[in-house]
Amino acid sequence: MLQIKNIIASILPPAKWRVPVIIVLGTLCGVVLYNFYVSRAWSYLSDDPATCINCHVMTTQYVTWRHSSHREYATCNDCHVPQDNIFRSYYFKAMDGLRHSTIFTARTYKQSIRIRAPGNKVVMENCIRCHGELTEMVKANVTYKETLEGNGKKCWDCHKEVPHGTVRSLTTTPWAEVPAPKSPVPEWIK
Amino acid sequence: MKFNLRNLIEKKPWLGWVLFFVTTGVVFVLGVLAASIIQRRAEATLLNVPLYELTEFEPRNEMWGKAYPREYETYQRMADTSYTSKYNGSAMRDALGEDPRLVILFAGYSFALEYNQPRGHIYAIDDIHNILRTGAPNEDTPEMQTASCWTCKSPDVPRVINEIGAANFYKTPWSGMISEIVNPIGCANCHNADDMTLKIKQVPLIEAYERQDKDIMQATLNERRSLACAQCHVEYYFKGEGKYVTFPWDKGMSVEAIEEYYNTYEFADWIHQLSKTPIIKAQHPDYEIFTTGVHYSRGVSCADCHMPYVREGSQKLTDHQVQSPLNNIENSCMVCHRESKEELIANVYDRQDKVYQQKLLLEDLLVSSHIETAYAIELGATDEQLIPIHKFLRAAQWRWDYVAASHGSSFHSPVECLRIISAGIEKASHARIEIARLLADLGYNKAVEIPDLSTKAKAQEYIGLDMKKLQSDKNEWVEKKLPNWLAIAKERESKIPEPKRIK
Repeated sequence: MLQIKNIIASILPPAKWRVPVIIVLGTLCGVVLYNFYVSRAWSYLSDDPATCINCHVMTTQYVTWRHSSHREYATCNDCHVPQDNIFRSYYFKAMDGLRHSTIFTARTYKQSIRIRAPGNKVVMENCIRCHGELTEMVKANVTYKETLEGNGKKCWDCHKEVPHGTVRSLTTTPWAEVPAPKSPVPEWIK
Repeated sequence: MKFNLRNLIEKKPWLGWVLFFVTTGVVFVLGVLAASIIQRRAEATLLNVPLYELTEFEPRNEMWGKAYPREYETYQRMADTSYTSKYNGSAMRDALGEDPRLVILFAGYSFALEYNQPRGHIYAIDDIHNILRTGAPNEDTPEMQTASCWTCKSPDVPRVINEIGAANFYKTPWSGMISEIVNPIGCANCHNADDMTLKIKQVPLIEAYERQDKDIMQATLNERRSLACAQCHVEYYFKGEGKYVTFPWDKGMSVEAIEEYYNTYEFADWIHQLSKTPIIKAQHPDYEIFTTGVHYSRGVSCADCHMPYVREGSQKLTDHQVQSPLNNIENSCMVCHRESKEELIANVYDRQDKVYQQKLLLEDLLVSSHIETAYAIELGATDEQLIPIHKFLRAAQWRWDYVAASHGSSFHSPVECLRIISAGIEKASHARIEIARLLADLGYNKAVEIPDLSTKAKAQEYIGLDMKKLQSDKNEWVEKKLPNWLAIAKERESKIPEPKRIK
């Protein structure tokens, strides 16, 4: 306790600086809060697929899923985020989310967005999680690790179209009806 | 010495300034980030802005086609009428010719004149011009229909209703709208002009929801992908003198609930020519029956099968060639089902065959009932004696028509269809027992002779229709009268400005 008190005491500004510092800190917190609000940061805690098109570059992935049979049973997170335990799930989501938001902000994504190795592993885990009985035979013969070494096939080496289809670039689904983010401006100010 | 920021800044005041400018910098960068987020969010809403400025009530499909050429191209493919399935398809099929019993069942009503299995939406206007049911309205011949008949035919309908109001629209004579309603069912019937989102525009559907205290504008995207079709593919009737188009859903959407609704009004579309039964004509309760089926309960929408997602080059779009999914099994059924094309089609026909088989049993009972009742009337049956017969016959024919008039319901919900038909067979059996008793009371205890109804022409002759005259009047009307109205329409449309290109 004493130590925390010491640390606070050590960074406290001189008496005559206190008021300006409080105002500056308030401004800083306000801007951080505003960013939180305008980026709908809280929505990333949910499983709502509409969250994934906060960044509109994922629209094609959203729409192709929306027209597939998987839409009735699986959300984006059901396949693309680990579902075995809550810590791994949120850790993965946080890491992926931070990377995605950085890439989106810096506009360094490609015309055709491709899944990376860690994502691949999670998707295959989740294929097997739901289609467990169906894949008994396959699992007996091959593991994901072995597929990486070129022994055996991944699920989508055959089921290529599931569920997004084989063609998906940023411009594949123009005019698709997708939930657009609502205006951040509150009603009473409009 | 222990680190102490306060002391440090007191000793070196410039450090305070460094801290100040660092904070300023952080706030500035956060501000830029916020601006970037806002800009990218705005991008998302701009993605679906069309190239042309379309107005909300733009009725001309080809104008929408300028902004959405790919979708419009698939829409135009509806002109292809080459596909026929076992029971329906894209071609126009003469329902009376295929099953002349219908002439007897609709005796006294315009459906006995001409009744076709429909072609694609793109033919909606041509077909309503040409069908005998709309007659050949002239100065001296009375109108057979009011403008209510146009309600489901065109994106001009929401436009005109917006101008003159629904009640005024419905009560206008049918021919009064020929020069207004010229574009076949298309873009503006389902879409928002701003961003192509699905929007329900059909007044009777919106009103039916309102009467149930539901707001149709709150429907989810998946619901709207079916409700867009439910704007027309439903049971409806023309209420009262003003022929106000109304969906009879106030008591529920089952065949019994709708019947109860009609019975409380003692509503009848017409009095049957032979049996004098007050009959309810079922329109096409496609949506109502679909919602009782397994595909609906699994969350499948109409568009999923009838307008599936298709790939064209690097793009994917909703196929606007609205048609039988049987003509496009790969993109409809096979998205979910892994069976072969042949097997899937066989599964559909198998269900349809069984429903049609039972439907025909009921049909024969109804034909006999109408003719036998007519004979009883000939023998001097009183109105009072006919009451129980009419009650059962009305209920039986309602059930038959509810299934017969619906498109595709024998597949959408075969179990519900068979339930309705078997209830109809029960009602018809009661009717025939009552008829047999009545005939016995009237001193007749033999089978009533059923005339030869093997062809449409024979059946129409039996109920006294002069088809030659009706057809020649119509042909003359189509050749001589109709072009005048269409010329007025062309003149009117030529004055509407074309949509402006905006980017």
